[in-house]
Amino acid sequence: MRRLLLAVLALIFICLSCENKKVEQIKVNVPKGITVPEKMVYIPSGDFIMGHRKKPETNKGERVTLEAFFIDRFEVTRKQYNVFNPAHMFNQKKAHFPVSMVTFQQGQDYCRWRNKRLPTEAEWEKSARGTDGRKWPWKIYYEHPNNGFSGFLPEVVDKRNEWISPYGVYGMGYNVWEWTSDWYDSGKSLKIDQKRYKVIRGGLTQTHTTIKFTPTYFRNKMDPKLYFNFIGFRCACSVDR
Amino acid sequence: MKILGQKLNRRFFLSLFSLSSIAALFPTKVFGISDYRRDKNIPKNYIQNRDRPGFFIRSANPFTGVVTDEWNLSIGGMVENPIELAYEDLFGFKTISQVSRLKCVECWSAKAKWEGFLFQELINKVKPHSKAKYVYFQSADSYYESYTLEELTRPRVLMVLRMNGQPLSKDHGSPLRLIAPFKYGYKNIKYITSIEFSDSRKRNYWANHGPYSVDGTVQPGIDHPLDFKKKPLTINGGEVFHPFDKRPS
Repeated sequence: MRRLLLAVLALIFICLSCENKKVEQIKVNVPKGITVPEKMVYIPSGDFIMGHRKKPETNKGERVTLEAFFIDRFEVTRKQYNVFNPAHMFNQKKAHFPVSMVTFQQGQDYCRWRNKRLPTEAEWEKSARGTDGRKWPWKIYYEHPNNGFSGFLPEVVDKRNEWISPYGVYGMGYNVWEWTSDWYDSGKSLKIDQKRYKVIRGGLTQTHTTIKFTPTYFRNKMDPKLYFNFIGFRCACSVDR
Repeated sequence: MKILGQKLNRRFFLSLFSLSSIAALFPTKVFGISDYRRDKNIPKNYIQNRDRPGFFIRSANPFTGVVTDEWNLSIGGMVENPIELAYEDLFGFKTISQVSRLKCVECWSAKAKWEGFLFQELINKVKPHSKAKYVYFQSADSYYESYTLEELTRPRVLMVLRMNGQPLSKDHGSPLRLIAPFKYGYKNIKYITSIEFSDSRKRNYWANHGPYSVDGTVQPGIDHPLDFKKKPLTINGGEVFHPFDKRPS
């Protein structure tokens, strides 16, 4: 009897733990006449908190208003990119990993080929954090589970439903960094550095063997001509494209 | 009685027939494998990792350095023209210099002026087969490293002969090392003795012996530059440039 009671309690605990890991979603009403493209998410118009008030290199927590737009629910995969650019080879076992080793231009060209575009930095951030100014897309802080290994560890793009954003977008704050369409300007950038780097968003940081998620407002920059294993992208498009 | 300055005793005769003695007769090869480790010469107080001001020294194995006169570089595998080069041969290549940081996976970085030649020079000499997409390096201190061929042909990847205006020192990989600034320090192999082109990727030393990846691309994170009192600075990933570093034009 006692064992049965313990088993029931354990089951309840496990169920509650599972429940806690679900990310509460913003209820979005898609206006009549608008069809959301396959594997994209509709982000409604309106303002959101962008940046962090104590991080001067960000938008300092000020409100930004955006028109409604669509954004890819997942990062572009290696298999998807290979259809556009067959020379970009991939291991079949990793077909659904995010594409990487692509320059800004290659990302932009792919999105145009899909009749889309790269998201702006503001679109990316709103998709990641919703409207309540949260630090993590999934709201609650977690340690990154892969701590202890130094090196980049990409995952299948649709693997982590416990780490989705309040709009249901995957891969924001882990997996690859993503090209955005904006030039990086910290507000203190030298003239020579203006229009030199593109903003990349939403990857992991690593210090020796410690791997960390990046907050929704965290900005990184990269020379658009460079390509690395830790940079990929997703596409967006305007509702009235 | 003495021969060649050695006292004749049992130990002398035993050592005469040891593997290391045979290696001494053929200093560049032991059964086809280059081996310049002189383990017997490593002092008891040898310190493998030395935190020298300006540029820390790190090595996987105790090693006192290569004897340049006995050194050669063999390049083979999937190539049309396998070759062996002596130290002097390396000065026939066009020399390039650059200032770049070596970013250690342990979190520090140090800057130096490196002089050497492009990997493309070696490609031109040996002509790899079209299927040879990977390159495997071995070193005199029993270290090994692997790269894709594409990575080695990127700008600012150098086969280095000189550091800060001097020939490479024993601590820094004399006579030949690799500098790939967008890779962590452990990928920047020292004391290179052989280069092999292949159609499949081999693992590297630290993926086999520690928690580090084969790829070793510098990830976004934090750096503690030795020329900035090890104060933490964020890095973007790839080659490390701090605000006080001059960027290549």
